[in-house]
Amino acid sequence: MADLHIDGVVKSFGETPVLKGISLDIQHGEFIALVGPSGCGKSTLLRIIAGLETQTAGDIVIAGRSVAGVRAADRNLSMVFQSYALYPHLSVADNIAVPLRMRTLGAAQRLPLVGRWMPGAAERNRDIAAKVRNAARTLEIEPLLERKPGQLSGGQRQRVALGRALVREPAAFLLDEPLSNLDAKLRVQTRGEIAELHRRLGATFIYVTHDQVEAMTMSTRIAVMMEGQILQCDAPDIVYEDPEDIRVAEFIGSPKINILPADLRGGALRLLDRDVARLARVADQDGIRMGLRPEALRLSGADAVLTGIVAHHENLGSEIYAQIEVPGLAERVVLRADPAARARLGLGSAVGLDFDICDALLFDRSGKRLRPVIEAARAAHQVA
Amino acid sequence: MAVTELSVAAPASRSVEASQRRTGWFLTAPALVLMGLILLGPVLVALVLSFTDYALGNPGFNWVGLENYEKLLTRSTYEKMFLATFTYVVTVVPISVGLGLGAALLITSVGRFRDLYKTIYFLPVMATLLAMAIAWEFMLHPTIGMVNRMLETGCGTILESIWPFMAKGCEGGFPLWLGDQRYAIWVVCFVGIWQGFGFNMVLYLAGLTSVHRELYHAAEMDGAKSAWERFRLVTWPALGPTTVFVVTISCIRAFQVFDTIEAFWPQGAGPNKSAYVMMFAIFEKGVQQNLIGIGSAITVVFLAFVMFLTLIQRWLVERKVHYG
Amino acid sequence: MIRDWWKHLILILGAVIVIAPFYMMLSYSLKSPGEIDRGEGGFFGRQEMMVDERCVALRDPNRDEVEAAAERFPGLTDRAVRDALIAEAEAECAMRPAVFNYTMAFTQAPLLRYLLNGVIVTVSIFVIQVLVALPAAYALAKLRFWGRETVFALVLFCLLIPVHAIALPLYIMLAKLGLTNTYAALVVPWTISVFGIFLMRQFFMTVPDDLIDAARMDGMTELSIVWRVMLPTAVPALLAFAIFSVVAHWNDYFWPRIVVTGSRELFTPPLGLREFKGDGDGSFFGPMMATATVIVCPLIVAFLLAQKRFIEGITLSGMK
Repeated sequence: MADLHIDGVVKSFGETPVLKGISLDIQHGEFIALVGPSGCGKSTLLRIIAGLETQTAGDIVIAGRSVAGVRAADRNLSMVFQSYALYPHLSVADNIAVPLRMRTLGAAQRLPLVGRWMPGAAERNRDIAAKVRNAARTLEIEPLLERKPGQLSGGQRQRVALGRALVREPAAFLLDEPLSNLDAKLRVQTRGEIAELHRRLGATFIYVTHDQVEAMTMSTRIAVMMEGQILQCDAPDIVYEDPEDIRVAEFIGSPKINILPADLRGGALRLLDRDVARLARVADQDGIRMGLRPEALRLSGADAVLTGIVAHHENLGSEIYAQIEVPGLAERVVLRADPAARARLGLGSAVGLDFDICDALLFDRSGKRLRPVIEAARAAHQVA
Repeated sequence: MAVTELSVAAPASRSVEASQRRTGWFLTAPALVLMGLILLGPVLVALVLSFTDYALGNPGFNWVGLENYEKLLTRSTYEKMFLATFTYVVTVVPISVGLGLGAALLITSVGRFRDLYKTIYFLPVMATLLAMAIAWEFMLHPTIGMVNRMLETGCGTILESIWPFMAKGCEGGFPLWLGDQRYAIWVVCFVGIWQGFGFNMVLYLAGLTSVHRELYHAAEMDGAKSAWERFRLVTWPALGPTTVFVVTISCIRAFQVFDTIEAFWPQGAGPNKSAYVMMFAIFEKGVQQNLIGIGSAITVVFLAFVMFLTLIQRWLVERKVHYG
Repeated sequence: MIRDWWKHLILILGAVIVIAPFYMMLSYSLKSPGEIDRGEGGFFGRQEMMVDERCVALRDPNRDEVEAAAERFPGLTDRAVRDALIAEAEAECAMRPAVFNYTMAFTQAPLLRYLLNGVIVTVSIFVIQVLVALPAAYALAKLRFWGRETVFALVLFCLLIPVHAIALPLYIMLAKLGLTNTYAALVVPWTISVFGIFLMRQFFMTVPDDLIDAARMDGMTELSIVWRVMLPTAVPALLAFAIFSVVAHWNDYFWPRIVVTGSRELFTPPLGLREFKGDGDGSFFGPMMATATVIVCPLIVAFLLAQKRFIEGITLSGMK
């Protein structure tokens, strides 16, 4: 188990740049999620770490030593592939045993048929069998050990792939969208199991996914990647509450954060022709974008900053999401409310929305986060 | 054209099933008739005649029971026949399958000239075997043939000291190849391999494209570092069905070898009948010598081998499909 | 790329062995008997004028011709006149080896006729195979009728029977019918191609049923469905099958050897070549190689022009 450093990794395929300079320090035992939309380069980065692709520039350092020029088989990493990549002709037990056989048995001991009678082979094979059983027990697939991958369901195959990865004890586990081939229910269940596995093993996990829910729920740190760069790498709650870039704010969080246009003139933050706060330490500018999460908005009276008509609502039982058409705003504002407010959120009802300026995330025209000091704020109205 | 359908005037007295049945039988009738006449009938004819001493032109024949089969099992000529046939099959099939696989692997792994190699290696499959056999015959001529001429150029060089065969040849003359009992069948095998491995190569090339690429990555992560390990872990198992098919086809073609032998030795099938394969025996005994009885017996045994082989292939493929 | 050099070395070595007989065949078809014997002259041979001995021997002057020619050589003895005539004959019978070889190939035996036979036989076989196999494949793939499974089982069983294996009983049956030494004998045993039925059936099963139902609604009879609807969709598979069939039957030696014993007019190209060889005359090796080249050429040239198609075809039929 070791630390892993990614140092200025650049990757281009021909003329097309895919990774534009990635640097990241991963501590031993962390669960780092590489999350981002398709095409942002996260799978490529994972494969470069694994050694299956070579970077155009930059370095990967594992346990204090650069692995430049070291082939994937020698980097002491394990990988779980999106398609699982199980050997179709081998049983589950043999599949899981492959990494051990490759590394602990000598060439003579691996020969078909005669290998097992080579000196020393019997003992090592017993060893391997024990480790395989352990891994199978951890993942609850012991009854499947004699079956072939073709006879297993998707979820079972995924566990076998996990088993194959953890039967050795690598410096880090690399997981490439392992849940994307599972159905929704299984995904939720397996999410929890992988997170628990991580806690139990205390190992370093590097997990690639396009699903921000997975990233939020499983990781100790999230690295949000877009267009070949890491925009932010922090603990999930920080990425959620304190994003550095508007793209991070928009990507993380479901439903998507509300973005409202605002201006700062003479220290006054104006939204829809109303002053909503006095700010300092930030220059006057136009084109400010204010991010408000659905749960940061509250229902209030007709005097509220945002007023509009309920255009659509979704009652999830434990909460209600309502989409409000606000005149002057191009997009609907999404509000999260208690089920008790059902009556006030009927279709077509007129509602007013207020918010605490401290909950607002301000970004400049280019998307960078603004952190002003709030001198005065319009008080948030109570929920009626 | 409307032979299959009743005229439109006839009302719905016929159902869809009846009409499909009529049509079905009508459309398959020619094939069925031909199958019966050309494939099944002759098998029965051969079976029946194998118990007789019939000869073409004779008004009648006698039943001789198992006498013909007894001859097959006891006479030394037939011992040579089985020996030659099996030597050929057991030599040509593994080597031509192996070379086909090797060529496919090599060609897949080089970056350039792939199509050129593919084309060259496939040429022998397209060329009339008889013509190429004659070409090979001349190449193997003891004095003016290319092969021995080339071997002669090795005389007086370092090869003579390290290769005993070369040394012996330089001294006493290189082998007569087709005239030498020890070499004859091996030359025939060589020509068979030369002609057949290109076909196997093409089938393997197709099989190789269907191997999942991610499996190679998984193998790398698991620690399989050499080409041999990757081959054992991923490639060879994935080629299972292809191999079964290739081996079966190669076996059946190997059993049917004839052209080369008749080209090299129009009579006698090699010095001391060392290349007296089954097809040649059928030809010689049945057609040339008009001994239909024994010819039919050989035919029946031959059919049995071929059918057995194909059934094994089918069974193996079935197994893989259900457990794969 | 550089690391691949040893792979290329092996492949090139293999290619040399594979091409060797082709090289020799082509080369010797261009050389004179002397060059062949001595193994010299590079690939094309030196193409020096050679004298065709047979041609000279044919024009060996007899008494009358010598006397008649005496006028043209005044003052010479009979012997000298004779020598002069022979010299003339030699001059007229001189030609380049390549020309000699190929002319001999076409004149010593009716090679063109043999090639024509090859075409007739191959084309007839393929056409009849298609005529028989396509309707049957359609019926087995798309029509539901009692006994269909049995018929298909029969097809599968017949796949176990290679026609060459039952050559002897077929020959006897044909002989009894007096059909040996006919085109029918060359063509008929191959008209049923169970492999073709199997291949086409696999292909037809992928055609959507709706297409056929629509054709039926339009009033097409089942037979016209086979030719107007199914055939166009199966062109790639048909092409593959055609390649298989043509190559196999153009190159077939065993069956014609059994069934065509008398008339030269019926010889297929391989038989023609063998006839050449049977003459046994060593000095005729050049023309024999020329004949071999001519026989092998059509398929090789077609292959070189359409390699992808050929290889695809073999692969397609191979993977069933």
